[in-house]
Amino acid sequence: MKEEKGHQADRRKFLVGMGIAGAAATATLASPALAVAGNRCETKWDQEHEVVIIGSGFAGLAAAIQAKRLGAKSVVIFEKMAVFGGNSAVNGGLFAAPNTALQKKEGVKDSPERMAADQAKAGRGIANEEQLLHVAKRANEALQMTIDAGAEYFPYLQQLGGHSVPRTYQTTVAVGSGITQPLLNECKKLGVRLVNRTKFESLIFDDKGKVVGAKIREGYYFGRGKEGSPVNVRAARGVLIATGGFARNVGLRSAQDPTLTAEVGSTNPPNATGEGLLELFNVGAVPVHMAHIQTGPWASADEDGFGYVSNYSIYNFAHSISVFPKTGRRFMNEIADRKTRADAQLQCRDDNGNPLPPVTITSYEHAKQHPTMKKVLKYGVGWKFDTVEDLAKHHNIPVKALKQQIEEYNGYVKKGVDEQFGKPMAKAKDKYLKAPFVTVRNWPKVHYCQGGALTDVEARVIDSSTWKPIPGLYAAGEVAGGMHGVSRLGSCSIPDCMVMGMTAAENMMKS
Amino acid sequence: MSYKKLMFAVLLVFIACTVQAQETLKQFDGIKGRSYHADFYDGKSCDSCHDSKKPLNLPADDACLSCHDLDDLIKATERAKDEMGQNPHNNMHFGKDVPCMECHGEHQPREHMCQGCHSFKYKKFKQ
Ligand SMILES: Cc1cc2nc3c(=O)[nH]c(=O)nc-3n(C[C@H](O)[C@H](O)[C@H](O)COP(=O)(O)OP(=O)(O)OC[C@H]3O[C@@H](n4cnc5c(N)ncnc54)[C@H](O)[C@@H]3O)c2cc1C
Ligand code: HEC
Ligand code: HEC
Ligand code: HEC
Ligand code: HEC
Repeated sequence: MKEEKGHQADRRKFLVGMGIAGAAATATLASPALAVAGNRCETKWDQEHEVVIIGSGFAGLAAAIQAKRLGAKSVVIFEKMAVFGGNSAVNGGLFAAPNTALQKKEGVKDSPERMAADQAKAGRGIANEEQLLHVAKRANEALQMTIDAGAEYFPYLQQLGGHSVPRTYQTTVAVGSGITQPLLNECKKLGVRLVNRTKFESLIFDDKGKVVGAKIREGYYFGRGKEGSPVNVRAARGVLIATGGFARNVGLRSAQDPTLTAEVGSTNPPNATGEGLLELFNVGAVPVHMAHIQTGPWASADEDGFGYVSNYSIYNFAHSISVFPKTGRRFMNEIADRKTRADAQLQCRDDNGNPLPPVTITSYEHAKQHPTMKKVLKYGVGWKFDTVEDLAKHHNIPVKALKQQIEEYNGYVKKGVDEQFGKPMAKAKDKYLKAPFVTVRNWPKVHYCQGGALTDVEARVIDSSTWKPIPGLYAAGEVAGGMHGVSRLGSCSIPDCMVMGMTAAENMMKS
Repeated sequence: MSYKKLMFAVLLVFIACTVQAQETLKQFDGIKGRSYHADFYDGKSCDSCHDSKKPLNLPADDACLSCHDLDDLIKATERAKDEMGQNPHNNMHFGKDVPCMECHGEHQPREHMCQGCHSFKYKKFKQ
């Protein structure tokens, strides 16, 4: 039963005899980087590449592929984590684009102008409409890049909140890795160098103020207190910062929005700490919309990250009630915009001021129509009850008040008017709350940073002292700020990241 | 077997498993290590994983692959069809590319990285 043990005894002996050649060869050989004399010039270079990309999410991967396709000989991606893909590898795999093959098939009339207009509306007057239109015009091309690399999508479109037509594709695995894995394979095929456990630290300029390289740390081990050794990397055509958002940097986010303390979790992996963005500010980039940080009111207090409850709640909120356990009463319109709901949830506290997550109650009959319910129950992050009494007992809710609330709410379902919080009741039509019930406990989580460094439509980073692009410096993806304004529509980050990454690569290859 | 006896047997297996999970971390001469790797704690084989006999650094990311075969491992931890992407050695997000050390601790206990976001059950995992 060697196979089951998962190792090969004979091969082991052979290799042990050879002294683990593989291990020695790949151990990081940190060459001692000489001090950068005079800060800006006479840098001793340890490595040189044509195109240097920091971060391996959608933005970095799309840029690397585009640079290779345009003839770049050496392209490198530095990633600080052990694995590649960042937020992108755990995202929901929802990708919006206008004028696609599926829209043609389903007879949907759409245009880049229409997609950009939908997004501008959610941006409430402060979105960068030029960038939105630029991305919408090339979103289909980016989608095609993923399909050519082997990404597979469901054969139908979805219409997400704020979109005026169905235009959203979703990977068949319903996870962003359905895109990052094929893009990574494509990168390998094209000869892009992918280096993990390497952290970008700072930019290196020549004496004319052009970015000519980056200082990185090789052998950086996230979470193990190993910072690695500094290495100077020359970038012949430029450096692209594609380091993602800062949702997991509690200091930075709560400085922008004091409600986003450590008490509020995040849907992002722990690497979303934003030090790449801070280095951009260090060298003079313009901060834009930093306080516009999106929290997800559909997240759960009982699981880490995005989890199962998020998709469960997104689907069920329309025909459910959320109650404050202390009173058994509703406290919000369950389908108000994300910010309104998250603020209301954060008010739900016990007598000592500690979080007392609200309980969202759904009829089993309605909850079971979405596949996530099974997983919510299987993994113990949601509960099923046969009676109101059991439910109230488990969640410590005053049962009389709760019964009263349910009865009132069912009256609103009947009338089609929510007299308590003005929730639009169209989607709750005929969906009375009745036993058996399924419950989850919601608590908001930081999800997406609309803010970041100001870039132009060419993905060039703008200098706050000259208001001109900083030569040789590009930024794309969530690290760039201002495109979406107050609120980003669902499925619009993937096209943003990919198109701006491609744009950055094209401009580097022109330089 | 009576119900009671069966339950007792189940309980024994359960205890055996939890004990085993803890017991794999053993004190060897000067350093803790895994009982299943006991052969390499004979005082001169630290370089089975490390790049030197007197290690100062972490092992390379592919050090474990000199003995363990990835394809065999993938087979050993295969899961039912609806949970295919939960195979830690060939998973939904990162395929086969997660360094072993991100999930398996050698000289100290370690929680596997999927635990940060999921609560999948892995019966054979030895923390
Ligand atoms: C759970 C979840 C679901 C989502 N679902 C969707 C969806 O369905 N559709 C959609 O459009 N958007 C969605 N989003 C948003 C979208 O996924 C992100 O905005 C997007 O992935 C960001 O991509 P990126 O390339 O900018 O950065 P990331 O994918 O985050 O990649 C950045 C990489 O840079 C690395 N890095 C950071 N700092 C450094 C440094 N100093 N040195 C070296 N490397 C560094 C990070 O480790 C990371 O790997 C979702 C987000 C989350 C969290
Ligand atoms: C020099 C060869 C060798 C190296 C290198 C090696 N292992 Fe092992 N490993 C073995 C052998 C042999 C066994 C089986 C022991 C047994 O069957 O009881 C084993 C068993 C294991 C087991 C337990 C399997 C079980 O049945 O539960 C794990 C987990 C494991 N190794 C992980 C690792 C990791 C992680 C690394 C790298 C840090 C590593 N091994 C490096 C030889 C090696
Ligand atoms: C089976 C593989 C394996 C063997 C054999 C092994 N190690 Fe390790 N070692 C590791 C792993 C994996 C780590 C990472 C930390 C952890 O998981 O405990 C590590 C970490 C270390 C570290 C910490 C290094 C740092 O920079 O933090 C030291 C020191 C160390 N080992 C010493 C030894 C010594 C001494 C021996 C021999 C007696 C030995 N190791 C044998 C796998 C191994
Ligand atoms: C940083 C958080 C994070 C980590 C770490 C993580 N995942 Fe996920 N995973 C997610 C998110 C978010 C989803 C998408 C959930 C959804 O949309 O339903 C997901 C979905 C999945 C799915 C598909 C849904 C399901 O449950 O079948 C699988 C399989 C999966 N992950 C396996 C893994 C494995 C195996 C690991 C460890 C290698 C892992 N994940 C690590 C966040 C994470
Ligand atoms: C993403 C986390 C993760 C990574 C990375 C990982 N493992 Fe595992 N490994 C696990 C888990 C979880 C189990 C237990 C699986 C189960 O219970 O089905 C396991 C089981 C094993 C086993 C026992 C298999 C058996 O037959 O019982 C061995 C041996 C092993 N791993 C070695 C390795 C080696 C070597 C690597 C690197 C090539 C590695 N693992 C990478 C999480 C991981």
